[in-house]
Amino acid sequence: MKFLSLVLRSLFRSKRRTVLTVLSLAVSVFLIALLQSLLGTMDSLTVSGGSGTRLVVQDKASFTNVIPQSYANFLRSQPEIENFTAFQWFGGEYQDPRNFFANFAVEPETYLDVYREECNLPSIPPGQVRDFKRDGNACIVGQELADRFGWKLGDVVPLRSSIFNITLRLNVRIIFKGKRKSDEMYLAFNIRQLQEAVPWMKGRVGAFTVRARNAADIPRLCDRIDRNFANSAQETLSITENAFNLNMMKMLGDYSTMVHSITGAVLMAILIVTANTMAMAIRERTTQISTMRALGFRSSQILSLLMAEGLLLSLMGSGLGIVMAILAADVAAKVGGSILPWMADFIITGETLLLCVLITLALGLLSTFAPAYRASRRPITDGLRAL
Amino acid sequence: MAAPEVTVRLKGLAKSYWRGSLEIPVLTGIDLEIPKGGYYALMGPSGSGKTTLLNLIAGIDRPTGGELEVCGHALNALDDDELAGWRSRNVGFIFQNYNLIPVLDAFENVELPLLLSDMSRGERRDRVERALRLVNLTDRMRNYPRQLSGGQEQRVAIARAIVHDPELLVADEPTGALDARNAEEALVLLEHLNQELGKTIVLVTHDPKAAQHARFQIHLEKGVLDRTIEVHDRPGLPRIPGGGA
Repeated sequence: MKFLSLVLRSLFRSKRRTVLTVLSLAVSVFLIALLQSLLGTMDSLTVSGGSGTRLVVQDKASFTNVIPQSYANFLRSQPEIENFTAFQWFGGEYQDPRNFFANFAVEPETYLDVYREECNLPSIPPGQVRDFKRDGNACIVGQELADRFGWKLGDVVPLRSSIFNITLRLNVRIIFKGKRKSDEMYLAFNIRQLQEAVPWMKGRVGAFTVRARNAADIPRLCDRIDRNFANSAQETLSITENAFNLNMMKMLGDYSTMVHSITGAVLMAILIVTANTMAMAIRERTTQISTMRALGFRSSQILSLLMAEGLLLSLMGSGLGIVMAILAADVAAKVGGSILPWMADFIITGETLLLCVLITLALGLLSTFAPAYRASRRPITDGLRAL
Repeated sequence: MAAPEVTVRLKGLAKSYWRGSLEIPVLTGIDLEIPKGGYYALMGPSGSGKTTLLNLIAGIDRPTGGELEVCGHALNALDDDELAGWRSRNVGFIFQNYNLIPVLDAFENVELPLLLSDMSRGERRDRVERALRLVNLTDRMRNYPRQLSGGQEQRVAIARAIVHDPELLVADEPTGALDARNAEEALVLLEHLNQELGKTIVLVTHDPKAAQHARFQIHLEKGVLDRTIEVHDRPGLPRIPGGGA
């Protein structure tokens, strides 16, 4: 502790340089924390409550193509299938194109059961479930989405789709509270509404989500379904729901490699900045270090003092960067969540924070060790001559 | 009559540097004894080996030959860490350019050698205040080196050199960066430390006036001890300007 003052004073010997280095470290840590959290949040989207036992049956060529609703007959005959529901992406806008959120046409009779974990079915009052199934214009919305637009039960929500060029007027019959905020950022309504309003959708659906009785049955089921519709007018592709979600995310590009590449580049940049700062800070104190060694400081003590400076510098940058990232994540979740539902779950996790701290500690050690070691071993008489 | 205690004993001391395979001797066959409480000035032309000899005596450089015993320790036998510990207990350094730590104030600069000891904060404070009183700088103890004049900086450096009560003080051109008045003050201070506190002082200087304050002048010539002269007409010991001990 008696050397702490010396370490701090030495660290702030050149205040401007130290502040600028801390800021550059903070910005880098901020970027790393945000990028890694973004990656974590996106990866978590591929897995949700019941996704382990669900598979998606879609058109083999593209999930944007529709498939016959009659394929349900085959699905119904499979003993390994517990339940299934049809769905179709609607792409509706509420009042303004900027008010974008996820919305689907689904089969109300089976939808709640297939997605019981996501919509937290046991918590929905039976009366609301009944209304949702009975009312042909009914829709179910998540709490977060309802809060965003101020919707209440019984409200009428006009939804305009530029894909189908129609406007539907939907009655809010269920407002559910999910386990994750991103689960509460969508709306689902009766697919029959869409099929009645759009002639070419009659007897067609975008895809089926199938809930298997056991996760172990899924590979066999996928194989059997696809073999059954092979060589038909519309062949199918059956994949696990997690794989389906992953495919959707991959439409954004190979985001994982992209994020890791940016993180790597940022890390390299901080390493160079910190190493340069520490090398300069140590080099310009050659005489001072030799004087301290002449006074009796051991090489190991000098090395420890210089390493402490480097670590402190890194930790200050890391701390500031983490605070900035936490604040930014909060804002991103609030603002971004209204545009991209999955952003509502965006947080900086404990693991990411730990990763940032460990990375900066490693950077501090790496960037300081070489110049500090050299300075602590340099012959005292050489150092005293270096003015 | 008992033989006087010896602080520095050199026997056949040699130091060479190597440039590739070429050996460049700097000091050769130095035999010297400096008694405890002695005040010796090392003199000679540039390149004669004065500073190298001082560095060897102070334990911040290693000889390539001969024996080197200082303050009762054979320095050749000590490893780097032991040598550092030995310096922290036995040697006080005074440099031409003061070599104060710019981010520490006068008090903290003087306290620096004591941080290596087990002293409590209170003990350290007492020692530092005493040392600063001795050099008459108690009123500037919270000033940083940049806020002090050259003379004051050198007095802080002298306080740092004596704060841990070493037996030996080594000074390399301590007046080289000072004007005549401040140089004289620094020399008077060193003389007080020698005469009143009994410190052994080895001083390197080009300045004959500064050497005149020592009791003996050792002349080096091309790395060889040329002659030792006892100084008979030393100036009297005036009172330290502004107070002091």
